[in-house]
Amino acid sequence: MSNLLFLLILLPAVAAAVCYFVRSSAVRTLTVLATGAILTAASLALLGQETQPLTVGSVLGIPSDFLIAVLDFALLGVIFMYGVKHKSLLIQGFTLAQAALLAWFELIMVKSAEVPAFAVDQISLIMVLVVSIIGSLICIFAIPYMKEHEEHLHLKKSRQPQFFFFMLLFLGAMNGLVLSNNILWLYFFFEVTTLCSFMLIGHDRTEIAIKNSVRALWMNSLGGLSFVIGMMLVYSKVGTLDISAILAGGPQGALMVTGVGFLCLAGFTKAAQVPFQSWLLGAMVAPTPVSALLHSSTMVKAGVYVVLRFAPAYSGTLLSDGVAVCGAFTFLACAALCIGQSNGKKILAYSTVSNLGLIICCAGLNTPLAITAAVLLILFHAISKSLLFLCVGTIEQAIGSRDIEDMRGLYAKFPRTATITIIGILTMLLPPFGVLMGKWMALEAGAANIYVIIMLAMGSALTMVYWARWGGLLMASREAGAAREKQAALISLPLMTLCLGAVVLSLASPWIYNSMLAPMFNAPPFALSFGSLNAATGSFAVVPLFLALGLGALYAVKAASGFRKVKIVAPYLSGSNAGEEGTYIGPMNGPVPFSAGNMYLGELFAEGKLTPVFNALAVALIVLMLGGAL
Amino acid sequence: MDTLILVIIGLVAGPVIGGLVAGLDRRVTAWFQSRQGPPIMQSFYDVAKLLGKEKMVVNQWQILCAWVYLIAAAVSVGLFFAQGDLLVIFFVQAVGAVFLVMGAMSAKSPFSQVGAQRELMQILAYEPVLILVFVGIYLVTGSFSISAVWELEQPLLAKMPLLYLALGYALTIKLRKSPFDFSTSHHGHQELVKGVLTEYSGPYLALVEIAHWYETVLILGLCALFWSTNVFWMAALLLGTYALEILVDNTMARMTWRWMLKRVWLLGMGMSVVNLIWLYAG
Repeated sequence: MSNLLFLLILLPAVAAAVCYFVRSSAVRTLTVLATGAILTAASLALLGQETQPLTVGSVLGIPSDFLIAVLDFALLGVIFMYGVKHKSLLIQGFTLAQAALLAWFELIMVKSAEVPAFAVDQISLIMVLVVSIIGSLICIFAIPYMKEHEEHLHLKKSRQPQFFFFMLLFLGAMNGLVLSNNILWLYFFFEVTTLCSFMLIGHDRTEIAIKNSVRALWMNSLGGLSFVIGMMLVYSKVGTLDISAILAGGPQGALMVTGVGFLCLAGFTKAAQVPFQSWLLGAMVAPTPVSALLHSSTMVKAGVYVVLRFAPAYSGTLLSDGVAVCGAFTFLACAALCIGQSNGKKILAYSTVSNLGLIICCAGLNTPLAITAAVLLILFHAISKSLLFLCVGTIEQAIGSRDIEDMRGLYAKFPRTATITIIGILTMLLPPFGVLMGKWMALEAGAANIYVIIMLAMGSALTMVYWARWGGLLMASREAGAAREKQAALISLPLMTLCLGAVVLSLASPWIYNSMLAPMFNAPPFALSFGSLNAATGSFAVVPLFLALGLGALYAVKAASGFRKVKIVAPYLSGSNAGEEGTYIGPMNGPVPFSAGNMYLGELFAEGKLTPVFNALAVALIVLMLGGAL
Repeated sequence: MDTLILVIIGLVAGPVIGGLVAGLDRRVTAWFQSRQGPPIMQSFYDVAKLLGKEKMVVNQWQILCAWVYLIAAAVSVGLFFAQGDLLVIFFVQAVGAVFLVMGAMSAKSPFSQVGAQRELMQILAYEPVLILVFVGIYLVTGSFSISAVWELEQPLLAKMPLLYLALGYALTIKLRKSPFDFSTSHHGHQELVKGVLTEYSGPYLALVEIAHWYETVLILGLCALFWSTNVFWMAALLLGTYALEILVDNTMARMTWRWMLKRVWLLGMGMSVVNLIWLYAG
């Protein structure tokens, strides 16, 4: 097992270095492809392994814990330097505070005892799969994407080596983060993802990119500071750095639970929960593969992972309820903000934050059913959301806009991309697909808490609206014999893989649950029979629904495919249609053009008006949550 | 095996009952308006005629969406008869609702585009109320499965009176009756012609119509759950509720979606929340 772990964590780092120092694009392409293939294979191989904690003795004669400590301070130094460079007092302050507290913690508080650095359990296994496979696909997509991206920018010297350096390093750091068993190691990888995301968001070096990357950095530095405080409080009570030991002990008094509360707050910043959502929204200025990586499989999932990881340490406390309410509030608030958006990437960003809120809410509900929902949501959201980001990236390079109103009738010119996008949207929104199944579990688990369920019910309705109208406007008439759409192989491969994955894994979800999730619990929430998940509280007939709706959909597709034999007519316009689409013959016998747009409900869901209100409410809820730990 | 038989009964009886209800609806409405009205079987004649018409479409998405709407509506009724999970039934029904909207959006017609947007507003209005109603049922029975409702000894209505009113609100919207018929205005030559249905025609409009019958049955089924202990009271409840729907439909003018959203989110949600608080406390 140890070799696999090193492969998962160190190989991306080595590959990153290769991309950075060898400036040949062929070598880079090969490196990325090979890394993707090996990571995928290694993560799958990890599934079949005996899982036991792993101690890392020393690397090249240096004790590994000492090495990590040195790297920690080096990292904080680098972040501080960027704080100075961009004249951000917030970054400087948070980083200095972190360094001071960390020094005190490592030098004075921690009595050195060997703690297994890595451990593998069900949650980390699923996270490794998500990171390694989806992350690799996004990196592969980035190869042709960045080539075209740089052609638009007319750079003298390609900046792709740096780009792929951080992309690949990110994957390694994420694998390290989810596999860590020593809380100090977890903190180290947590900080690496902070630095990587800062570098990637600012990659294009435009004014706005730099501004947004600085904001991401200060918010995540605040998260880092919160992490250090949490770590110290927890250690002062339990006296160990071993995460599995901390979790096994459960909640132990106000001080320790407050510490866990700070760890959750760190998770909130990284998962861009309200009021920290602005850094993730700002992250969309980066090239699309970065947004896909940040939103689906890595950065934000790191935050969710931390909250979920420590769930046993706060189960049954008021903090747990607080986490659930904060998560549910983010779910509702961001779904409401999303209604008012027409920028495709912004819709995806808000929807991501909203879904992360749902996952965090599940962690706070803290029942086996809710934890199952959280893990399934992590998995299926990662697949569908990365697919949608890559779709928006492809569309943006094709039509030069990321506004969904400009995507109206996309099917007419880009049938392939449009169809994949529609499928992606459906897998986010409807049964029998995995994301909806996760949402269903979340609703059933949340029914026990009145505050949570009311917010979930309203958020769920809002979600339906913003997805359905996007899916609908992509559909359009296509002229017979129009030119076929061309897609580069390296664009097509990740899109098709993710699209298929979203559908096939949803179908396999009962067995994924049975083999990977059920073993986590003493009393698993569901029993499996005939491909449906059954519980006393309710059941989801996955396979029967897939059969009924799937066969029905296939029949519908077949019926639709024969449409050229049917009489094709122009839409009804209360008057005679003019020759071209979208106009009719009006007064004076002249053509009158018309257009229709979505309703964005500006008066109810204006981003500018709602954001300050939501931020204030969220701060109040977070204070409530942390106070609940006392 | 029993489940399978029940599902088949549901799939066959669904459109029959739904069509009859639609026919009755028109008769009673005519009576309100001092007209004689069509025969009760008229809805079946209409659909049969539509099915025989020439197929005309704007594009293939309409065919796809009409079929998926029908299939999803039928599957949700099937699940209802299989005593399935209320939330799952609701979400399967939502598949149909979403596809109806998407099909309307695929045609470049201002009427169907606006109708689709308004239909989304209707979904936005009724969905949270319905979810809270299911949560209420869960709090009373301890399960989201319909099978648990039949084991009750006291009708749900006794515990959830306000939630039933809220459900009535939601159902009027779902059935697109006045004052909430703005996504598919009943009558031609109004501000929206036929809204979300404008571009569906001939056999495809027939599919949409049959799907709507299934939805009517599903909705009446939900209402029936509120008096699960006695068949006669159940029938009385259904008759009373639907009669009230028709009365409201005929006496109300169409309102705007803003009015609806505010009304339903405040009043409907308010009633639901108050009732839920009773249940949590009880």
